[in-house]
Amino acid sequence: MLQKFIDKTYRWAQRNSLWVMHFNTGGCNGCDIEILDLLTPRYDVERLGILAEATPRHADVLLCTGPVTHQAKDGLWQIYSQMPSPKWVVAVGSCSNTGAVFHGSDTVLGGVDKILPVDLYIPGCPCRPEAIIDGLLKLRERIAQGEPDQV
Amino acid sequence: MIEGLFFLLFFPGLAFQVVCGLAFEWLDRKLLARFQRRVGPPWYQPLADLIKLFSKEDLLPKGANHLIAALLPLVSFSAVLTAGLYIPVAGFTPFSFEGDLIVILFLMSVPTLAYYLAGIVSLGVYSVLGGGRSLLQFFSYEVPLLIALSGPAILGQSWSVAGIMEAQTVQGPFVIFQPLGFILAIVGLIGKLKRDPLDIPSAKSEVVGGSLTEITGTKLGLWHLLMKVQAVVGIFLVINLYLGWLKYLPAHLSILVFVIECLIMVVILSVTSAVFARLRIDQLAGLGWKILVPLALLQIGFVILMGV
Repeated sequence: MLQKFIDKTYRWAQRNSLWVMHFNTGGCNGCDIEILDLLTPRYDVERLGILAEATPRHADVLLCTGPVTHQAKDGLWQIYSQMPSPKWVVAVGSCSNTGAVFHGSDTVLGGVDKILPVDLYIPGCPCRPEAIIDGLLKLRERIAQGEPDQV
Repeated sequence: MIEGLFFLLFFPGLAFQVVCGLAFEWLDRKLLARFQRRVGPPWYQPLADLIKLFSKEDLLPKGANHLIAALLPLVSFSAVLTAGLYIPVAGFTPFSFEGDLIVILFLMSVPTLAYYLAGIVSLGVYSVLGGGRSLLQFFSYEVPLLIALSGPAILGQSWSVAGIMEAQTVQGPFVIFQPLGFILAIVGLIGKLKRDPLDIPSAKSEVVGGSLTEITGTKLGLWHLLMKVQAVVGIFLVINLYLGWLKYLPAHLSILVFVIECLIMVVILSVTSAVFARLRIDQLAGLGWKILVPLALLQIGFVILMGV
């Protein structure tokens, strides 16, 4: 009973306070600019409790952009393992979803899901800030329903 | 005994200060949002952030000392809460004694030293840089702050906050006689709280997260909480030293005036953090030693001349 209450409170808090960290695994910088747009006063994601953090240690959500290159894969894994759980990974943009136009290239592994368990895919090339907000709202719903994060 | 526990745990103590700290954070973030023409976070945002941090995994880099890293936020949190106990809230002060101003100022500087040590203990490059910066900042703002805050003590001829308030009921609020000292105290407070124009130790775009870069989970939550409580305690202290003339008002009126004064202080802090850009560390040292210290000494000179 008490455990249930604590779990519910934790889920409520986690859902209302998603601190994001942004990492480019080798993309063209298009989605990164959209993510920066997302964090400006115009879109005001702070009203949903979303804050940008500079260090993976403080972050809950890793926003990945770009296809995973062979050079970036170790860094990506290191940053992911530095994040304290519960943690979520969001693949922002077509490249980080599937590899998109870079699919089959010698220097590119593919999407982020080749390395990390991805919780949410946001397609688009580049995806608009509204799409990212919509995706993060869906992530909030999933957290509220109590789906465990994939570790 | 039970009364003492009530003081410690509820009214001027733990619960009251934590609630005030969360309210302060919400007001501050909401005001900043409104200055930028945004909606801003809902009222439960600081609480949700705190609970979320408590629910997260506790990680430290390999080789870091877990015991010291856990003790540092606890020790500085208790130091800040103890300082808060001695500060009158709307004229109510259960533990006042002669000389408590010095104890408060000492306890308020414990978190800065703990912040430095947290950087050293957690072994990150950015943490060590942030820790060093916090000490440099400490040497720049602490001296003018201490000189400025000794102005009310000299004018009120008492080193207890309650005694200074007593003197102000006779002489009028000290902000009239020491407007310069009041401004210096606010600048020093901003430096102590590592707030925006003086957030050199925790500047995100320069040193990532300052001393707390490698710190996660409950420890990070405690650090955030204690900084909020420190802000509240600092605001109460400045209000009591410079605007503490409400001892002989009726109780409900004095509470109202106190709350209004607190809100004015919060607005001042939010406006400064919204308007000014961050100073470089050499600019801060120059500001501290070339401008603030001489002004503080000038203020003290006026106070001593006035007292004679």
